[in-house]
Amino acid sequence: MSDSRQLLIRDSLVLLAFTGWALALPAYGSEFVVSMALTCLMYVALSSSWSLFCGTTRYLSLATSAFFGIGAYTTALFIEPLGWWSVIALGALIAATVAVLMGAAVLHLRGTYFAVLTFGMTELIRHAISYFEKQVTGTVGRVLMVVPERDTIYLTVLGLAVLAVAVSIAVRRHRFGLALRGIGADEQRAQTLGVNTKLVKLAGFAITAAFAGAVGAAMSVRWTYIDPHTVFNPFIGFQTVLIALIGGAATLWGPLIAAIVFSVLAEALRLQVPQIYMMALGLLLILSVLYLPGGLASLRGSTFVGWRDGLLAWARGLGGEKRHG
Amino acid sequence: MAEALLLDARDITVRFGGLVAVDTVSASFRAGELVGIIGPNGAGKTTFFNAISGVQAPTSGQLVAEGRDISGQGPHRFAAHGVARTFQTPRVFGEMSVQDNIGFGLSFAGRRREAPWLLRDEASILALIGLDHLGHLPAAAITPSQQRLLEIGMALATRPRLLLLDEVAAGLTESEVEAMARLIRRLRDELGLTVVWIEHAVTTLLRHVERVIVLHQGRKIADGTPAEVVRNAEVIEAYLGDEMAETSA
Repeated sequence: MSDSRQLLIRDSLVLLAFTGWALALPAYGSEFVVSMALTCLMYVALSSSWSLFCGTTRYLSLATSAFFGIGAYTTALFIEPLGWWSVIALGALIAATVAVLMGAAVLHLRGTYFAVLTFGMTELIRHAISYFEKQVTGTVGRVLMVVPERDTIYLTVLGLAVLAVAVSIAVRRHRFGLALRGIGADEQRAQTLGVNTKLVKLAGFAITAAFAGAVGAAMSVRWTYIDPHTVFNPFIGFQTVLIALIGGAATLWGPLIAAIVFSVLAEALRLQVPQIYMMALGLLLILSVLYLPGGLASLRGSTFVGWRDGLLAWARGLGGEKRHG
Repeated sequence: MAEALLLDARDITVRFGGLVAVDTVSASFRAGELVGIIGPNGAGKTTFFNAISGVQAPTSGQLVAEGRDISGQGPHRFAAHGVARTFQTPRVFGEMSVQDNIGFGLSFAGRRREAPWLLRDEASILALIGLDHLGHLPAAAITPSQQRLLEIGMALATRPRLLLLDEVAAGLTESEVEAMARLIRRLRDELGLTVVWIEHAVTTLLRHVERVIVLHQGRKIADGTPAEVVRNAEVIEAYLGDEMAETSA
């Protein structure tokens, strides 16, 4: 009990420190640094909330960009009549509703089938909106006229990132989190022990979607002009999953750590050498899956010792083979 | 002992495509009974278990638990009505500690059910199944026979009225089987549980249960005391042969 309380105190302190640092950033950082931090916070929110459901249950959803896009379009359509805060909440609500409908259709599938279908549905939504805009409203994209100040956007996305981590901490300590873990370990066993898995999965998927929707609603104002191909960009969904996996989708801090690493890497490499950025991404994923399946957050001193021993054993084996050959 | 029906399975049929795995089997289980289910490989024992624990929805037939028709509902509803089961291959949560594996059932199906003194918390359940010294270990780190016991503990944590045991003695040594049988008897005697026990090793089972149901090719061919069943001509012919003759001799 005291162990779990200590853990809670530690996690809360880390979150507090992170929040304080991010809060202070706009005061001294350059425009470039703040913009980089914003992207970073966006991925902290997306990956942490993704891991909350998908990481623990191992339901690999590729639908993040669908929810993100839904949020972005909510802002484009309703920011003028509703205002900033309502439009964020509405974006979350609509995304969660879509997630419940989508989840009811595909959450009984596992593994590849689930991943492929969520991706298919994302594409379906994207093309449906493109079609609707072209045929019915007669536009290709939308211009955002009312845009809040930079600091408002920054603080909103920071708030969402902090909330995503805080909700993850809370869920981990609650029965709901235990149910999610049980689903990830052995869904049928969890069911026979009394977990209403259908309901738990729908709720988890909806929470993930609500965050992506809210983030999309907040981030859309960064582009003054949006069209379906920018905001439903599947890359947003892929990158969320990559960050979560590399950081450690089953861990609390992994997604946050990886989001920071990624943002720095992205800004450092993308502008000068975009191909190298994509290659670095791929390489990092391969390495982490092969040698660090628990993600960056599972990195410990002993991990390095393990790698060294493995490498030495491999080198010895190589030497031995040569002697035989 | 009250003669209330805990679970009443009426004309349960489970069909997989053209294969009829369970063919209109009816069976009822009373409070405090210790019942065995036997049958050769492929007789439909486990499929029948899956059906009466909600894991496999029957193609037709009715399941009435504590007077309520719960056919077609999810396994969590069965658990809520006091039906608990183990799996043939232990399905413990390997990454969680032994104690947390017990805690899982207590947090869900067991949460809303009345708690007998022996099943009051993790520690008491661990003591009951004899794993109290292993509570802190990850469940993946204990031996397969200990995992068998943990499976039973996880089921007990749902605070059931009916416990379905799927080949819990398979692969155990002679003395472990005896210990398992003693535990099962104790659960029945001290908790008043109804226990339904599937076992492949017929002789073991017949020694310990009071009633036996025999399945053959998906159908129920006998239902009675071990003494009656071993004399049943259809049973002897269908499957038991030599093994059964030894027991009755």
